[in-house]
Amino acid sequence: MTRLREKVSWQTMWGEEVIVGDITVTPQSKALVMHAPFGGLVWNRPVAVLVERGERTERIPIVDVTRIVELGLLALSVVFTVVIFILSAKKRRS
Amino acid sequence: MSDETDKVLDSVIESQAQNLELMEKLFAVAQPGAVYGEPVASGEYAVITASEILVAAGSGYGVGGGPGAETLEAETAVEGEEDERTGFGGGGAGGGVSMGRPVATINIGPNGVQVQPVVDVTKIGLAFFTTIGAMLMMLGRMRRASGG
Repeated sequence: MTRLREKVSWQTMWGEEVIVGDITVTPQSKALVMHAPFGGLVWNRPVAVLVERGERTERIPIVDVTRIVELGLLALSVVFTVVIFILSAKKRRS
Repeated sequence: MSDETDKVLDSVIESQAQNLELMEKLFAVAQPGAVYGEPVASGEYAVITASEILVAAGSGYGVGGGPGAETLEAETAVEGEEDERTGFGGGGAGGGVSMGRPVATINIGPNGVQVQPVVDVTKIGLAFFTTIGAMLMMLGRMRRASGG
């Protein structure tokens, strides 16, 4: 398990602060890092930004609309396939 | 013979060094700086782009050598002649894939911070038509199977 954790890890990291006027923005990213003996994979994506203004701190998530729509379409096609299989099985039985 | 071995060993060490360099470059992508662009400022406003990045790479190499006259059968080995079948060799190859896609823009101004998503219409369109196509194919199969 420890070996797997060394080879595959989810890393949440904070980037450098960006100061514009009285607003301080700190970006956050999440990366999937996979190590292999002669290669590797890194999937890095933005997660949120931490906004500090005066004494107020707010976390604004970054929503990947394209990914959500893609996953929605994938889920739709899976549900459709399952329904079609169930209906055709029922028809065959009757 | 020893010169050849040295050459092969040198090439292996060089390959390993190149591999390490490649891996360092690859894992540098895991830093937040790779995902968020440099802020572009204009007056009181600034814009930061946020992108998704996927990088995968792999490499491999191998070495090998022939035994030469020592292990050759007696009738094939000619005395006083150097055996041409003796030798070492090595080779390597590598490959990889990288993908980047804008996800959102972070707009900073006097009114606060707004995160605006970047919608990839082409990608969504392709996924939509693929889904519709798959659904129609499935429907057609079902109709054919039920004989109607």
